[in-house]
Amino acid sequence: MPVRVALENTTTPSHVSGANSRRNSFQSCSLLSVGQAFSGTQNVSSLQKDEAWRVNVRIQGCDLEHGYLCGTMEALNVPMADTPVVTFWEGEIVDTKNYTFFTGKWEAAPEDDIRHWTKFDSFGPLLGQVEMDGGKSADLSNYPYIFMRWKEQYFVNVGTDCGLTIAGFYYVCFSCNDGSISGFYYDPNSSPFQKLELKATNDGRSVSRTWEIMQALNTVSVVKSVRKVKFCCYNQSCHNCE
Amino acid sequence: MPSSRPSSDLILHRLSSSDYEIKLKAIREVKNQIIGNRTKKLSYIKLGAVPAVADSLAKANADSDFGSNLIVQSAAVLGSFACGVDQGVRAVLDAGAFPNLIRLLSAVDEKVVDAAARSLRMIYQSKLAPKFDFYKEENMDFLLSLLRSENENLTGLGAGIVIHSCETSDEQNILCHAGSLEKLISGLDGSISQRDASLESLATILKNNPEAVSKFVELQNERALRSVIELTKDKYPRTRLLACLCLICIKNSSSCYLQDIGIKTKLIYILLELLDDSGQVGEESSFAFSSLVAGKEDLQKLAFEANAIDKFYNHLQNCALHPKRLEGIFLALADLCSKLECCRSKFMSLQVLNLLINALTHDEANVRTAACICLKSVSRSIKSLSAGYFTNERIVIPLVRLLSDLCTSVQVAALGAISNIVVDFTPDKSTIIQCGGLKELVQLTKSMDSSLRLNAVWSLRNMVFLADKMCKEAIFMELTVSAVASLIRDPEPSVQEQALALVRNLVDGCMDCIEFAFAEDGIILDAVGSQLQKSSKIEIAIQGMYVLSNIASGNEFHKEAIMSLLFPETENGSHSFLSQYLQSTDSSLRTSAAWVIVNLTVPASPGAFGRIVKLRNFGIVSQIKRMVNDSCMDVKLNQSVSSSIWIPWDAVSEKS
Repeated sequence: MPVRVALENTTTPSHVSGANSRRNSFQSCSLLSVGQAFSGTQNVSSLQKDEAWRVNVRIQGCDLEHGYLCGTMEALNVPMADTPVVTFWEGEIVDTKNYTFFTGKWEAAPEDDIRHWTKFDSFGPLLGQVEMDGGKSADLSNYPYIFMRWKEQYFVNVGTDCGLTIAGFYYVCFSCNDGSISGFYYDPNSSPFQKLELKATNDGRSVSRTWEIMQALNTVSVVKSVRKVKFCCYNQSCHNCE
Repeated sequence: MPSSRPSSDLILHRLSSSDYEIKLKAIREVKNQIIGNRTKKLSYIKLGAVPAVADSLAKANADSDFGSNLIVQSAAVLGSFACGVDQGVRAVLDAGAFPNLIRLLSAVDEKVVDAAARSLRMIYQSKLAPKFDFYKEENMDFLLSLLRSENENLTGLGAGIVIHSCETSDEQNILCHAGSLEKLISGLDGSISQRDASLESLATILKNNPEAVSKFVELQNERALRSVIELTKDKYPRTRLLACLCLICIKNSSSCYLQDIGIKTKLIYILLELLDDSGQVGEESSFAFSSLVAGKEDLQKLAFEANAIDKFYNHLQNCALHPKRLEGIFLALADLCSKLECCRSKFMSLQVLNLLINALTHDEANVRTAACICLKSVSRSIKSLSAGYFTNERIVIPLVRLLSDLCTSVQVAALGAISNIVVDFTPDKSTIIQCGGLKELVQLTKSMDSSLRLNAVWSLRNMVFLADKMCKEAIFMELTVSAVASLIRDPEPSVQEQALALVRNLVDGCMDCIEFAFAEDGIILDAVGSQLQKSSKIEIAIQGMYVLSNIASGNEFHKEAIMSLLFPETENGSHSFLSQYLQSTDSSLRTSAAWVIVNLTVPASPGAFGRIVKLRNFGIVSQIKRMVNDSCMDVKLNQSVSSSIWIPWDAVSEKS
């Protein structure tokens, strides 16, 4: 979700492919799959006033092998904007193979990382290992929480002159148990610890009926669709066969 | 001055003359005129010169000076006709010259042998040449005698036969066991032409054959492999290309060889450098590059770091590129962008897309196909899809036109690109519908060609993904209920799978969407049920179960319809596929089956209790309980959802 411009300082992260030894790979989670929607709020309160924006998120791409996730984020009641503001974000999944708990970019020092990760209760059991070796030895493959960083890349429906910035990024914790997401926005030039809280949802359905989100998550089929080529090899001669 | 056309009566008359001098002079005259001149070749072929020359070859006596001279000249003319012109090859074969040329290989006169071998090599460069039967022992003796010969033309012919006719792994193995690898390796130290022929033959024998590769590498303690690596530095571009091709065949057949990052990087740089060759080598290098990086992320990364995309882009900017070169470059870019976002991102930033759009309307079908394949690869970028880079009319209109292309491979490739482009994550898919794309896609689902059917259904499946109700209705109306049901029962399993996935996406969303499955007395749901009953393919079962799961997330009527399908009244349920799928060894299938139960038993629905009782009676409850220790976290979570959060299973057992 975009926040107000404080300083024009947008950086573009590169997607680092893992070159380290291949450890346990992540197990897939139905609730973190393509097509899944989430809704909730982001608290953007400052010293001056309390404020929270309604936020909708939809996952559009998920590649666990590369620790990659992406999607859109829609901020609904942004005071300065006439319409909901939609951004496209890319995520790094902390799997200790492709990405570790240490960000190493986006103006985030290890101390900033630890300060944000420890805001999540579920990070507690991992703190010791992360302080010791950056969490490299931690086995997260069966951990019921998935830690990520989400970085907004561009505005989908408004121009860059909209008075908002996407300079920062989110530390995110996803619960495999109930599909809830917590996050903290980090931008040295914005209010600290802006909290993002999302719950898995389904368009047009009551959010309280959480488990009926099946309809949305069943569209996970698009994962195969977008990565169509994975299935080419047995049904067509295709130069892209994998 | 206009060039003179051959005078039919005169030249044919002279070629058939009984006077040796006249005949020889006429043959020489034809030879000099047709060398490197395709038009002249075609002109003489039309005139009927080939049978006349073949006749001279057949009748001349190789043992006499006059005769051998005539044979040498005739063989040269026939080889020239066959060189690079398929009509020429056909004419030479039709004139019966082939067995005579083979016969002359055993002549005493070395000049005759050389001429016949050269001529046969030309013929073997064409696909029209007769297939050599490696299974016949006498043929293999003949081939090995060629390969072990001191005569360069004969070894070249032997290599040419291998390159032309060795296609299957059995044929490769016959050649390996007969000792041809050793013979070909010795050719690596020969002349330029021997070296090139040996490299190409070796690549032919090693291609996709791990057994042959392992034999080759072990030969002479890897000396042969080192020789090939050394030849990648040769001063001749063709030799460098062929050495690279040989190494690519080794690498692609057995990943355990050539793992060193140095050699991988070297291959990339050599092939990129060879692109600069203005001839055939430059054309072929992009195809070799494709086979080097296809499906290999590490090599794609190295190629990206070697600025391969910039290099291909620079070549593409040359407007006068030969179609073959264009095709090769687009295929190379397709392979390069097939896995890594950084490559796709570079592709987009360089505006290669504009050049690709031009190629979509190229005169040559192969170029159009390659452009579509490239577009399919680049459009895997969700970042670019979300930004709407592919949904503008400049791309969509020519792509939709290609759906009615006369060439099937173009249609299939266009469908592949459309499949990705329609996943634009916007609920409104109007661009493609307004361009007539929907009608074309639906039409192609009725094609006799299964690859077209498959890809058309695939595109529609993606088009329906997260589409709004209006869009889904438009697609559903165009497709018709009976057509969807037929596609689910298609003879091709891959089409069945895609059709089920299409229905799965169709019934996702609002309650009205679920009703699609119940249209026309529920023939779609019946088709889904019958596929689930008999399906032996896991992928089909998974899609089918998610269709049921999506429907089961609807109202009471929907849930009960799924219960009836799972447990028909006529059966006792003990053979229910649900039970089988819950015990499947495939975790994705177990997950999908568990989700069906989750949605059927959601406590807020009034009939949940009755359904739980029924599930218990059919033994499903005990199965769900056992899943608490499932190795798949997703299944386990579903189990916990159904057993702990919602369903008082134990209470149900007590009450029932």
